[in-house]
Amino acid sequence: MSDRSHLIATGKPFQFDAERDAMFERLVVRYPTRESMILPSLWLVQEQEGWVSQEAIAYIADRIGTFASKVFEAATFYTMYHLRPMGRYHICICRTLSCWLRGKQEIVDYLRGELGLAPGEISEDGRFSLEEVECLGHCGTAPVVQINGEFYENMDVDKLKSLLATLV
Amino acid sequence: MEVKILSARFHLKNSNTLKVAKKHGAYKTLDKLFATAPEDVIDEVKRSGLRGRGGAGFPAGVKWGFLPKNTGKPVYLAVNSDESEPATFKDRYILVKDPHLLIEGIIICAYAIGCHDTYIYIRGEYTTQVKVLQAAIDEAYAAGYLGEKVAGQDYRLDVTVHRGAGAYVCGEETALLESIEGKKGQPRSKPPFPAVAGLYGCPTIINNVQTIASLPFILDKGADAYKAYGTEKSPGTHLFGISGHVEKPGMYELPLGLPLLEVINTVAGGVWKGRKLKGIIPGGSSTPVLLPEEAADATLDYESMAAHKTMFGSGGIVVLDETVDIVQLVKNLIDFYHHESCGQCTPCREGLGWMLKIIKKILRREGTMDDVLLLRELCDNIEMKTVCVLSAACTMPVRSYLDKFRHEFEAYVADAATAQACQ
Amino acid sequence: MADKITLFVNGVEVEVESGKNLIDAVAAAGIEIPHLCYHPALGADGNCRMCLVGIEDGRPPLVPACKTPAQAGMKVLLDAAHIKKIQHDVMEFELINHPIDCPICDQAGECKLQDYYMTYHGQPSRMTVPQVQKSKKLDFGCGVVHDQERCVTCGRCVRFCRQITKTGELGIVNRSDQARVTIFPGRPLNNRYALNVVDLCPVGAMTSRDFRFQQRVWFLKKSPGICHGCSKGCNIVIDHHREKYADDRIYRFRPRLNLQVNGYFICDEGRLSYRRENEGRLTVARIGGQPAAVADALAACRDELQRAQKVVVLLSPSCSLEQMLAAREWAARHGAILSGFSDGYLKPGDGDGYLIQDDKSANRAGLLLLGIDCRRETFLAALAEAQLLINCDNELERSFPLEELQQLLMGIRTILATSHDSPCAATADIAVPVASFSEYDGAVVNCDGILQCFRKAVGKNEPLPDMADFIAALDGTAADRAGLFTALAALIPALAGQSADTVPAQGLKLNENEAAHVSA
Repeated sequence: MSDRSHLIATGKPFQFDAERDAMFERLVVRYPTRESMILPSLWLVQEQEGWVSQEAIAYIADRIGTFASKVFEAATFYTMYHLRPMGRYHICICRTLSCWLRGKQEIVDYLRGELGLAPGEISEDGRFSLEEVECLGHCGTAPVVQINGEFYENMDVDKLKSLLATLV
Repeated sequence: MEVKILSARFHLKNSNTLKVAKKHGAYKTLDKLFATAPEDVIDEVKRSGLRGRGGAGFPAGVKWGFLPKNTGKPVYLAVNSDESEPATFKDRYILVKDPHLLIEGIIICAYAIGCHDTYIYIRGEYTTQVKVLQAAIDEAYAAGYLGEKVAGQDYRLDVTVHRGAGAYVCGEETALLESIEGKKGQPRSKPPFPAVAGLYGCPTIINNVQTIASLPFILDKGADAYKAYGTEKSPGTHLFGISGHVEKPGMYELPLGLPLLEVINTVAGGVWKGRKLKGIIPGGSSTPVLLPEEAADATLDYESMAAHKTMFGSGGIVVLDETVDIVQLVKNLIDFYHHESCGQCTPCREGLGWMLKIIKKILRREGTMDDVLLLRELCDNIEMKTVCVLSAACTMPVRSYLDKFRHEFEAYVADAATAQACQ
Repeated sequence: MADKITLFVNGVEVEVESGKNLIDAVAAAGIEIPHLCYHPALGADGNCRMCLVGIEDGRPPLVPACKTPAQAGMKVLLDAAHIKKIQHDVMEFELINHPIDCPICDQAGECKLQDYYMTYHGQPSRMTVPQVQKSKKLDFGCGVVHDQERCVTCGRCVRFCRQITKTGELGIVNRSDQARVTIFPGRPLNNRYALNVVDLCPVGAMTSRDFRFQQRVWFLKKSPGICHGCSKGCNIVIDHHREKYADDRIYRFRPRLNLQVNGYFICDEGRLSYRRENEGRLTVARIGGQPAAVADALAACRDELQRAQKVVVLLSPSCSLEQMLAAREWAARHGAILSGFSDGYLKPGDGDGYLIQDDKSANRAGLLLLGIDCRRETFLAALAEAQLLINCDNELERSFPLEELQQLLMGIRTILATSHDSPCAATADIAVPVASFSEYDGAVVNCDGILQCFRKAVGKNEPLPDMADFIAALDGTAADRAGLFTALAALIPALAGQSADTVPAQGLKLNENEAAHVSA
């Protein structure tokens, strides 16, 4: 993994919107300790904002009543939390064994060549961001690509081309 | 060869809905369940010989028996749906195709062990799957199968889905508990074992999704019916995920004990593109590779795999054809385990990164034979020196590739030496 | 006393205390099990893997000693080849990404990595690939500077802030070999014990801004002492050194283990109070505000005494028992009124229920033990009558605003024997410099009634008189300091038959009724 410890501050205070606020309160009673809400809260932030800012981490810590360092630890340990804004379409390509065996590299190479987008980068127009991720659990239908949470199985360059054309 | 125990309803349209599932038998064991004493349920599961389907294969009923009695503390059930071992994708089918089978299994297990709060830990990557699962849970609550009075009985059971967020190590049971508690997923030292001090310090049982989903059949048809499948020591059926270089990759439910090569050739359509077989990874990427000649008499059960100095693991079979560059594959593996190392224990934290840099050096054709030997030595120096087995999950297969495909590493090193000489 | 059990280390029978983990149990028998992450005050974490030991016939055969309770009959393997190999290999892993910048590292000389390298590894590096790079010189607040590359992520500092101070400023972020200790942006270390993380750090990752680059530790003489910053009497190590052609100087205080008093830690204020031993000292006597030789000042004191009928002797609540007793005896002999008034040393609400006390004096309990009147009204009444005040280092400016103090002392001749320069020292008729607590032997009683002895640590090129010497000099004699302790031992039942050398290192807990007994 790369260093994820440099948080981005928005300069604006964060708070849950009404929907997430209610969700937080619904979930918190399910756990005997408030700290169990660290992961769910980070997900709520990411759902709301698309990424997790420094202010959001502070907000979660204070809302839960725990140390900011603990939320910071979780936010950086779990790699699905985006610690910076991503593209409108966040493309995750599985890089692990079965997808690698069945040609994930061609897809990565295509994106790099066609869109000039390398793993870890965001396109200049903010439309796409690309990330090579570890096994997505779709090895039987490899290679697999996940875009904004939707899975696209048995992927190849041609399929990806037509798929990307629909994502504006 | 295929059987339909766990996957019996998978083919049905809208099989994930309560309506369809119930029409085809879901929740029908509950009357029998509540008419049976919890310890009798445990006994039946023990008798069935059901082994944990998470990879280690520990008998489920025996695990439940480790729970201390009358501690005055709540008992928790954590369902392991982290399914992160590369080449493993079996539980996903249960989550999506028959979530009510899982919920029914949870009710059975919870009743047997005296649990009223269950957490399903689902990997964060299962974005669409978690929605299907949550919808099924919501349906089960609405229908009275979960909540204050399960199936009208005086038994409360709450089931909460807890999402991971991208950490393979959380499939390790104590890391999973840490993660539910809001911490980094760093495995705990054992003892104490979770059955004694697990989630929130309370007695806890952690079982894999497939293990739990096997319970309705066992309760419904009995231990003997379950044992009719599989082998004596590895009874029952298993959802095998076959991937890699085969014609028909996918998930297949098979009884345990079938010949490995036959399964690959008949069920999965054989090696793709008419190519030759180079090797087979029998149970997820952490299991040592088998050469074709080694695989010839291997069967898909815990004992046969152990006899072949590998492991049954998670039932994720990966087929490698003759074109696979083993050195590249090893780099892919080390990359994964290094990325997923929780960073806690020194040998794993520092050692896997070192191994990754060495294999990259070899791939750049800058390596020497010393580097190959060092890589092999590091496997020994790291393995089993750590709190959990993540490091071993890396070093065991890497050692197998280094030993069984040594010539491929030597070729890279020889190229490096030639390049050096030409300069 | 805990029960003793017998176990075997490398086949040799060892008697150890039960109820301890293997590291602590066998350490008491002089056997080292190497460890980086375990610390007795912070519990076992088990991450460094340096303490893995073999258990013969054990299941599992390999266990972390920090997490393994010592059990009777246990057969522990430490010198077996496979255990030595693990220690060797773990050290190699600890070092591959370590910068090995010992020549510029403050920890050099007291670094576990260095020590363990010499003992358990000792091989050249096999690291031929680039090291992991992290951040250096991070300002964590409270004077703590962090180097992530030197860090072995043992997490002691993190556990300290979570378990001991419960402030939780530190965390280990990321995972894999990217794991690193850091603070959350904008929430730096903010607790009164933060500098303990510097001592806790087994390597040079945590350094104190105050100490870094000041002195190589192998030059430092490590003398035991008692912190005089408050009434807790925390046990400290006084690290001092006499540079060539210079005076003996203290470079730092560090906590010294005393489970009965302070445990493993001290507060930052106390730690940094070493500066006061070096700085702001009164080193020359003054007569009428003009520099004078100490002998001349003492002669002038005797002249003052000849002229004064009504004398008040005021003691500092931080004086040692011996000094207090000397003053008590002197006052009795001369019909002087003795006071220990020192309300200004109390800072109500400043204490934290842990180590820091409201009372910023070291020996108020000693005043009470010796039956010395500390009441404000009796002190003020005596002062109203007094012609001469002999102030034994009581910082009166703590108790009164300067203007009020000047009013109070109007028309009274003042002799101040003090270790530190101050406005009072400037205005006293005679000021005599005396030694500070790092420069004399003594005994103090802490807020919990624990009597502790301490020894002279620092030897100045030009030693200043002990307060007891000053008091004796008022009569033109020399202090019998050994005799003072004997007199104390005769007064305090708990000290009966003891000498300063036989008082236990943990201190002597005095009985509740001890004070009444002595003053009676």
